[in-house]
Amino acid sequence: MNKKLLMSFVLLLALVFRVVAQDRTISGKVTASEDGTVLPGVNVSIKGTSRGTTTSAQGTYKISVPEKATLVFSFVGFSSQNVPIGNRTEVNVSLISNVEELSEVVVTALGIEKNKRELNYATQTVKGSDIAQKAEPNVLNALQGKIAGVQIVGASGEAGASTNINIRGINSFTGSNQPLFIVDGIPISNDLDRTNGGPNGTLGGPQSSNRALDIAPENIESIDVLKGPAAAALYGSRAASGAIIITTKAGKGGTVNKKLEVTVNSSYTIQNVYGYPELQNDYGQGLTNIFNPATLNSWGPKFGTTPTTANGLLLPDGSTRKNPDGTDYAYQAYPNNVNGFFKQGSIATNSVNLQGGNATQSYSLLIANTGQKGIIPGSEFNRTNISFGGNTTLLNKIKFGGNINYTLTSQNNFLTGNNASPPAVLSSMPRSYDLQGLPYTDLNGRSIYITSADNPYWSIENNKTVSGVDRITGSLNLEYPITSWVTATYRLGLDQYTDRRKQTFAIGAARLPTGAVLEDVFYRSEINSDLIFRFKKDKLFGDNINFTGLLGYNVNQRKFQNISAYGGGLTLPNYYNINNATTYTSSNGQTGESNSLRRLIGYYGQASFDYKKFVFLELTGRMDQSSTLPKANNTFFYYSGSVGLDITDAFKIKSDILSFGKIRGSYTRVGKDADPYLLNSVYSVTAQGNNVSSISFPINGQAGFSIGTRIGSGDNLTPEFTTAYELGLNLGLFKNRLNLDLAAYKTVSTDQILNVTVAATTGYRTRTTNIGQLSNKGIEAMVAYKIFNNKDFSWTVTANYTVNRNNVDAIGAGVTAFNIPGSSFIGSAPSIVEGRPYGVILGNKRARTPDGTKFIVNPQTGLWVPAIANQEIANPNPDAIIGVTNTFNYKGIGLSFLFDSQQGGQIISFTVASLKGSGALKETAIDREKPRIIDGVFLNADGSYTPNNIQIDAQNYFNQGLQTDLNVYGATVYRLREVSLSYSLPKILLAKTPFGGVSLSFTGRNLFFVAPNSLIDPELSTQGAGNIRGLELQSSPNTRNYGVNLRLTF
Amino acid sequence: MKFNIKNIIYATSVALGFLASSCSSDFLDVNNTPNNPLTVPPSALLTTLAYDAAFVNSNDLNRITSILMQYQAGVGNQVATYDSYNLRGNSDNQWNGELYAGLLINSQKMIDNTQTTSPVYAGIAKIYKAYGFSITTDLWGDVPYSETLKGTGNLTPKLDAQKDIYLGTATVQSLFDLVKEGMADLDKKSVLNPAADDVVYKGNLANWKRLGNTMLLRFAMIISRAQPDRAKTEIASVLASPAGLIVDNAQDFQVAFAASAGTQNPIYAFNFVNRPDDQLLSQRFRDTLLLFKDPRITKYFTLPSGTTYVAWNNGATGTLPLSATRSRFGTYLTGASGEAPIRMITNFQRAFMLAEAALSLNTAGDAQKLYEEGIRASMLKTGLATVEIDAYFKANPTVVTLAGSNAMKINQIMTQKWIANCGNGIEAFNDWRRWGFPRLEKALNATGGDDNTIPVRIPYTGNEQLSNPNVPTPGPKTFDRVWWDID
Repeated sequence: MNKKLLMSFVLLLALVFRVVAQDRTISGKVTASEDGTVLPGVNVSIKGTSRGTTTSAQGTYKISVPEKATLVFSFVGFSSQNVPIGNRTEVNVSLISNVEELSEVVVTALGIEKNKRELNYATQTVKGSDIAQKAEPNVLNALQGKIAGVQIVGASGEAGASTNINIRGINSFTGSNQPLFIVDGIPISNDLDRTNGGPNGTLGGPQSSNRALDIAPENIESIDVLKGPAAAALYGSRAASGAIIITTKAGKGGTVNKKLEVTVNSSYTIQNVYGYPELQNDYGQGLTNIFNPATLNSWGPKFGTTPTTANGLLLPDGSTRKNPDGTDYAYQAYPNNVNGFFKQGSIATNSVNLQGGNATQSYSLLIANTGQKGIIPGSEFNRTNISFGGNTTLLNKIKFGGNINYTLTSQNNFLTGNNASPPAVLSSMPRSYDLQGLPYTDLNGRSIYITSADNPYWSIENNKTVSGVDRITGSLNLEYPITSWVTATYRLGLDQYTDRRKQTFAIGAARLPTGAVLEDVFYRSEINSDLIFRFKKDKLFGDNINFTGLLGYNVNQRKFQNISAYGGGLTLPNYYNINNATTYTSSNGQTGESNSLRRLIGYYGQASFDYKKFVFLELTGRMDQSSTLPKANNTFFYYSGSVGLDITDAFKIKSDILSFGKIRGSYTRVGKDADPYLLNSVYSVTAQGNNVSSISFPINGQAGFSIGTRIGSGDNLTPEFTTAYELGLNLGLFKNRLNLDLAAYKTVSTDQILNVTVAATTGYRTRTTNIGQLSNKGIEAMVAYKIFNNKDFSWTVTANYTVNRNNVDAIGAGVTAFNIPGSSFIGSAPSIVEGRPYGVILGNKRARTPDGTKFIVNPQTGLWVPAIANQEIANPNPDAIIGVTNTFNYKGIGLSFLFDSQQGGQIISFTVASLKGSGALKETAIDREKPRIIDGVFLNADGSYTPNNIQIDAQNYFNQGLQTDLNVYGATVYRLREVSLSYSLPKILLAKTPFGGVSLSFTGRNLFFVAPNSLIDPELSTQGAGNIRGLELQSSPNTRNYGVNLRLTF
Repeated sequence: MKFNIKNIIYATSVALGFLASSCSSDFLDVNNTPNNPLTVPPSALLTTLAYDAAFVNSNDLNRITSILMQYQAGVGNQVATYDSYNLRGNSDNQWNGELYAGLLINSQKMIDNTQTTSPVYAGIAKIYKAYGFSITTDLWGDVPYSETLKGTGNLTPKLDAQKDIYLGTATVQSLFDLVKEGMADLDKKSVLNPAADDVVYKGNLANWKRLGNTMLLRFAMIISRAQPDRAKTEIASVLASPAGLIVDNAQDFQVAFAASAGTQNPIYAFNFVNRPDDQLLSQRFRDTLLLFKDPRITKYFTLPSGTTYVAWNNGATGTLPLSATRSRFGTYLTGASGEAPIRMITNFQRAFMLAEAALSLNTAGDAQKLYEEGIRASMLKTGLATVEIDAYFKANPTVVTLAGSNAMKINQIMTQKWIANCGNGIEAFNDWRRWGFPRLEKALNATGGDDNTIPVRIPYTGNEQLSNPNVPTPGPKTFDRVWWDID
């Protein structure tokens, strides 16, 4: 239970209902029976009347009572007590906490706090303590396995790498499918800005952060996840993919009625590479069993083979091979040459949080720093947060609050992905290459390696991407009770950051021999303004119907700018100033400016009714006007309705078995505007080519422009809509010891605004239009079972289960499939295919017999015949996601462990393919000398088949290519995600110390996994946050983390 | 001071410009992109057309055809697969970005933008467009043509038969007519006229007409085996045209590049910057040049290891020569740092074509004289001095003299044209498919194709098959000949 939230909520209400005293006065103090602490905000009422008061910050109350009155003490989370006062003038009460009546308050859209049992749609709350200090600096990763309906996949274990989150599947073909992030009531950016100045283009850039990473987990009070669009209708279209509502300690403004409390947190985590495929150590550098010093392959002779001229271990003249320094060349395995490249990473986090306040004022200050040294030497992530927030109630009843957060985030990392990046080079390194022992740079500072690829040590020393983010977010709140039933609120939010990046390529890089510098600056700002009138009227029609409602007016502006300058042909080495360049490239936006500005005005309203507190009805409506749509179509309306029935109250069920039961249903329609500037076709500076050869203007002083590859929509563009249906059931069984929350939903998105691929023969590549339909249906289940709940010992199991089925119902006339925009290879492209789930990967599929059981084999070579392009080779969508947490508490010792599992789904792993093709993978050494026969057939001229009987060697057998279905692995994985052991010192021991609390915890993350169908940890997604999923394009591996955390409160 | 909540809200909102500006209609009127122009002058498009055409000619389509024509041996990454004749899944960027959504749409845009006001620009664009479509149909056979480049006007253009593209029908304009229409536009009154923006001829329209005629000659030769009568008619008309043909190396249709990254010609960028280890001189081409004692080898290829041109037999397996010792394309094709021009339609091609036509179609001209003219023009172009060329002619009479049957003579012409076209694989690939000359042995270990013979076409691209149902899936095999390739 979230006691702090409850208290503040109750107090807030208490401000509204003040009662004037009369008759004789009773006073007293209310405490909790559990630990004797005072309880502020307890309702004290006189039985049989409407008169009452609440306890003060010190837990005391005063009330005037008539003769022979009985006082009723009630407080959410505690059993009510009826106390006849008799002749007493002082009545002290000790309330007993009551789990059965426990009913949590959740934060819903627009920061409205609601009792969970009144909600008609699915939400889930995660406490700050469940995510902070979990050896995990990215708040999204810390949520893994803890929320039903949510899929979270990190890009890799690299410091500061981004994380993808999708709630209830994917709803938009090419738009963002990330939920809206709301921090303290204001929307903030979780954008991922890519920097790709290098020769690898967008496929081999560094793994940049998603900007939610700027949030310090230490500052988080709680996270509420609004899963469907129903929950988020009031935020407008951007919440069509759900919303992550974060309440920070600063935003909450501290805890009222507490003396100043200082919390100091310190943690240290170590990270080790985990999940990299196993490598062989029996065969070294070479091809066809012959040693070859020029190859990256490990198809050479077996270690220990007698050196001969024929096997290449002796030179053609019969002499021994020598090292450059004249010593004899040792042909041997270097078992640690790949894994040894990665070092132990570390994460150190320190934070100080001050919180304090009284009944009318509160404040909170947080200073936190996280410093991470990644598993690739030199990779770093550093974050410093300073947050300050406060609330005050002025004498004239105006409540005033605000908070400001400053974040300084820096990241230093390296290229990843297929090409010359360090992880790619490692995935095809001969097992006999002494990476750690041999020099990696020559006298001129250039890379030394086997072939044209860069030595990874040279790369990390020279080719870096650094990012420095300055971010300010802040909000301002004003609240004024106009009458007893109308409150006006004004909220202004600002989120603004500048990310200054610099990418450098040293002279001598294999694929960029003349070096380059890229300056890349991203600026984002969002201003959000809400004016809201809230209404609350009990007994609206007759005695049984209560009403709350609101009317709101929202103005939102988002601005973006990216300025970049790319200079190649560096004159001086190691001098990375753009003025050291001799050429400036404009292609792919590498030099230039990109701006966008969008504005939106929204009018919205909500009406909530309850009948006798067991039927709940809620209606919302919103009208938006957007700058991005054609003027004639820029105003659009959408709405939602939901209903819930508390069956235990409605049918007066009083049972120890069925303690609580509620059924609920909702219908929502959410509209969505376009991105800016989609209406017109435009020209752009001409650029041709890709990473093997390219031109960009100006050339020889001549400008050149081309018609753009996108056809503008013209004035016919209309908003897109998502319709969602949800049915839910909440059950509390066995005195609420077992709680079930089930939800079933279906969402259908239509008329998507999309740059749909067109045949290039139209002269263009895409056109902007309303097209297609995408649907999701699914089931979420949450179970919480308090198996034991004694004073000294408790054991709770919570489990989440998620099933989502996505389907591309229709695309558009003449289009049955197209590639998702983003970074992927033509031969393994995440795509949108009619009748299939979103994001299936189209690529090269080996030809098989019609029944799919045998490969078609070339009768001359015994190898596969050429693969067929554009076939579905992988589906990254999981069948189910499961998370189970066990929590034990024994006298201040807490132990929890979280198992999670993804069932189904597939990835393509370039790392495995590369290791396999180059003969480095463990399985390539098993029976290597034995011939292989591909399980296939020859296709005869008459259409009949003859079994393949041609023996091929291991080298040919394993050379299966990167982009084929032979390189697809099942993503089913069972994982021990998190284990946490904590110990809080008993209060008795602390009585004579300055500490209010001391706790120590140990956390392990990603401790163990089993992926039965994959040779690599399948939870990798090189492109990180975004719609491109299921591609492992040679990025850093994942990590296993161990952390220790000390928390002191004063 | 007494607070008034309305005043606070109003003041705050006004300060931010929200309430105030939302009342006026222009608050939401911010959807005009500051990032890109909506219109550009013809000069900015004309420069693009020149480099688009040169890029098409010299980038990946050139690498594929240069390997198939055994100028080069592919030993790494994609180009290695070309040498095993696996051409599938490689040419999407060429079809999409370089041709249809590149050279071709920009030509069409230029025509649309300038036809009524500055028809000279439209005329030049038609010549570029015809060149682009000829490359497209020559490599892929039947391709979308008459219904293309219309944007949303036709989202799935049908295939036109290659025969119809070259010869025309009632509804399909032939490539010959497209060029002629463009040449006629050059004589029209034009508000704007090209100058420095015309990086090929600097606004010299007489040269554009020579190119037009030479392009018509080229089309005639391409179809000459399938349609000899039409070819003869077209050649006769070209020879009678007062505008003339390209008759001097200075009139060549070529585009100069520059020495800095991003402005280098694709041959240099690939072989010296981005993929230096992927291909090297083919042993087969080297041996031909050495057999003929051809001095152009010094211009075509580098000689990093002293005295021997280190080459590689197409498709061979085994230990590759060290990267630093390999012979790669030389300065004639790359310049010192990538600035060499990309040569598309040249004087030497014209001479060889007329020599071939004189023998195969009995058109006017002395085949022997034209043959010699072609060799000389090519040698001169590579930078050999006249005295060196004279000496070569004197020392190698059997090479420079046509002898034997017509077929043997044509073999000699096509072999010399093959040598002269080094760096322009697409032209050589067309010639080889028409005559089968020079005779090329298939590459070793060529197991990646639809059969194990040298491909005679490029398979349709995956993107187009995915988005245009008119393009057959699976399409023709690499051994299926195009219409004009009759044997």
